[in-house]
Amino acid sequence: MTLFNRGAPGVEWNPGDPEATQPQDPPSSNPHREDFTAYPSTCPACGGELGIDAYCLQCGQKAKSLREHFQLEPAEWVGAVCDIGISHARNEDAMACMAEGDRAVLVVCDGVTTSEDSDVASLAAAHIACELLWANNPQGTGTTSSREAALHGALTQAVLAANQAVIDKTNPASTNSAASTIAMTIVEKDAIYCANLGDSRVYWIPDNSQPLLLTKDHSLAQVGIDSGAGRAEAESSVYAHTITKWLGRDAVDLDPYLSTLRVTNPGWVIACTDGLWNYASEPTAIKELVDFLDHSSPLALAGYLVAWANEKGGHDNITVACARIESSAIPSVPLTQVVSEAMDVLDNPTVPVMAPNPTPISLDAPTVALNRSAQGTTQSDTEILATNDDNGRESGPTD
Amino acid sequence: MAVFTSMVYQNEFLADGSTDVNAIVRIDCSEAGAAGQTGVGDVGEIVIVDTSASMGLVNMQAAKDAAMVAVDTILDGTFFSIIAGNHRAYLAYPRVTSGPGMVRMSPQTRTEAKTAIAAFRADGGTAMGSWLLLARSLFASIPSLAGKHAILLTDGENHNESVTQLESSIRQCLGEFQADCRGIGIEWQVSEIRKIAQALLGTVDVIPSPKDLPRIFQELIARSMGRGVPDAQLRVWIPQNAQISFVRQVSPTVEDLTHRGTPVDALTATFPTGAWGDESRDYHICVRLPAKAVGTEQLAARVQLSTGPSILTQGLVKAKWSADAGLTTRISPEVAHYTGQTELASAIQEGLAAHAQGDDRTATQKLGRAVQLAAETGNAEATTRLGRVVDIDDPVTGRVQLKKNIDKADEMALDTASTKTTRIRG
Repeated sequence: MTLFNRGAPGVEWNPGDPEATQPQDPPSSNPHREDFTAYPSTCPACGGELGIDAYCLQCGQKAKSLREHFQLEPAEWVGAVCDIGISHARNEDAMACMAEGDRAVLVVCDGVTTSEDSDVASLAAAHIACELLWANNPQGTGTTSSREAALHGALTQAVLAANQAVIDKTNPASTNSAASTIAMTIVEKDAIYCANLGDSRVYWIPDNSQPLLLTKDHSLAQVGIDSGAGRAEAESSVYAHTITKWLGRDAVDLDPYLSTLRVTNPGWVIACTDGLWNYASEPTAIKELVDFLDHSSPLALAGYLVAWANEKGGHDNITVACARIESSAIPSVPLTQVVSEAMDVLDNPTVPVMAPNPTPISLDAPTVALNRSAQGTTQSDTEILATNDDNGRESGPTD
Repeated sequence: MAVFTSMVYQNEFLADGSTDVNAIVRIDCSEAGAAGQTGVGDVGEIVIVDTSASMGLVNMQAAKDAAMVAVDTILDGTFFSIIAGNHRAYLAYPRVTSGPGMVRMSPQTRTEAKTAIAAFRADGGTAMGSWLLLARSLFASIPSLAGKHAILLTDGENHNESVTQLESSIRQCLGEFQADCRGIGIEWQVSEIRKIAQALLGTVDVIPSPKDLPRIFQELIARSMGRGVPDAQLRVWIPQNAQISFVRQVSPTVEDLTHRGTPVDALTATFPTGAWGDESRDYHICVRLPAKAVGTEQLAARVQLSTGPSILTQGLVKAKWSADAGLTTRISPEVAHYTGQTELASAIQEGLAAHAQGDDRTATQKLGRAVQLAAETGNAEATTRLGRVVDIDDPVTGRVQLKKNIDKADEMALDTASTKTTRIRG
């Protein structure tokens, strides 16, 4: 089909110049944004050929650019999806992950919507943090605690490096300088090491025991929770999404929240941005979803969690990175304080799952409706190994 | 070289479960150049003059004057011929019986043509189908023609052919040439002539007085000579499993093109638009899509203007399903305007048809609706023309009464102008 004749006379619409016909979402002032207009080679909806303007020549669906939607599967047991969602004009979320053998690094970042270049910032932060954590695998002196300290040190360094990357790649003259959250996790066969700044999260969703939130938000919602409010109540406040720590030129505090979890049971490590957890904040809610959705592979699970969040409205960009930990052969060190506190969570009622919606939706994702009113109030998801003190600031960018 | 641009007016937001996407695509052409002089082929012009007995001395003389003005206006180098038509079709100029039936305009052929026109006498009946078929053959005798245009003047009904005969002739001429048709006096049938003009991508109008005829011929030929793009198609792509509900030209006149599509491939069809000069036309496209999940964005149509395989401009009609009623309930003002104008044209034509059949009740109701629509869409010309046929009690509710003595010429003027649309205000 010769729909696009390059020799046509007097054409305002010129297929010979891809720049002119690319969707115009991101302004291209920042040179670090130059790769953001790449598109997949075929239509993700029907496999048809894509037109030069990213609309499928067969089904007409608009393909998302590779910045708007991308996925990674560095190993069979690790998969991640980053998606623009429905309401936002650009994808300011980012992620990076690497895996080999028994070790994986997952990083998710959520650029602050209201700031300039936040899509550049989040991607730069995710990439540099992931590469650094992958390359830097300190063993400590051999003891469990010294290794944990060494890895927490690496995570803290990664935050600083990510912050520098954000500064380096965004407009220094901006009056609304780029900002981003970051949540990182190093997943090993028997342990999960986490760090976060802002309100992106890491969950541990074991197959047969209580799920846990391994990170702690730096947000006004968390400030509310810390002062006794229920999670559902605190997170529904107008200011809930105001974050109190962030990466960026105007960052005020780069001390991440750090935690470690030793695991013996099989389960899922799920790092995500608030585009997902806005619709399923409680670890038990995430677990319900994981159990219900296709979890035949980490990439499938990540894709279905994203599709589910989009079905719930997709009000924000959505990023989900999943790592599957199979049963560890080595009986692990008895769980520390972590588990005893986590046991409290067991008393909470589980979230009922409604029948799947019979209407087919995109990606064939099953529909799960969570009945929040039936949800119990969880005072504390988990308090693992907080190595730093957390003083929420009164003001911060709204994520 | 002609420059085409396009603009799309629509509300692309669809409510959950919605399937119909409406859009107005405005296509503008500039720097079209003169017909036959843009390097894309020769153009041919044929003047068809009714020489039936009913023309009488006055109309015949006016028609002769007009045909001579037409010959004066045709640019040198343009292929042309003159047809004199009554119950048969005669090639008045050039006087050849075989071979190429058209000659290039030059000072000499212009003089010869005028001599031929001067000899016209009103005599015989009317068989317009035969005139059209002769024009078709004459155009076909010059293989180098890229643009083919005729003007047809008549004064009466097509007495000497059956409706079927005329329709068959029209069908044979479809896509072969364009024709602007004009009627003089009040004895001709608007619906009959409109059928020819619409099929042949031309205009129809009433000539109020014989003295206007030369000016009108001059304008028609001049406009034709200003169409440097001899033939272009509206090319519409729709996605798999979608349907075109309709494709209409809505400005400057309403012309339904829905059933004039020629498939290019499974998803693309072209619709004839004829020749283009420096002008602007609006098309109303309605596409029915399978409903998609909220949040999905897709293309509902690519609307392009093409000459053969070359795409000259493209407008994208989009669909985005949204749960936001604030977005999905908005109606594009352009879509609303032309929907009203299209209904206005139908209401006028149906009202006048009912009146012709003596059904004054339906006529009053339809023309009342027309008055209402003309007021709503700000079509003052239509309101004025309607006001000569009905007494308007209240344009808002459309309460009207048929005038006691309707002037046939006013009725015909209303009818021929019914498809003329106005552009949206502001």
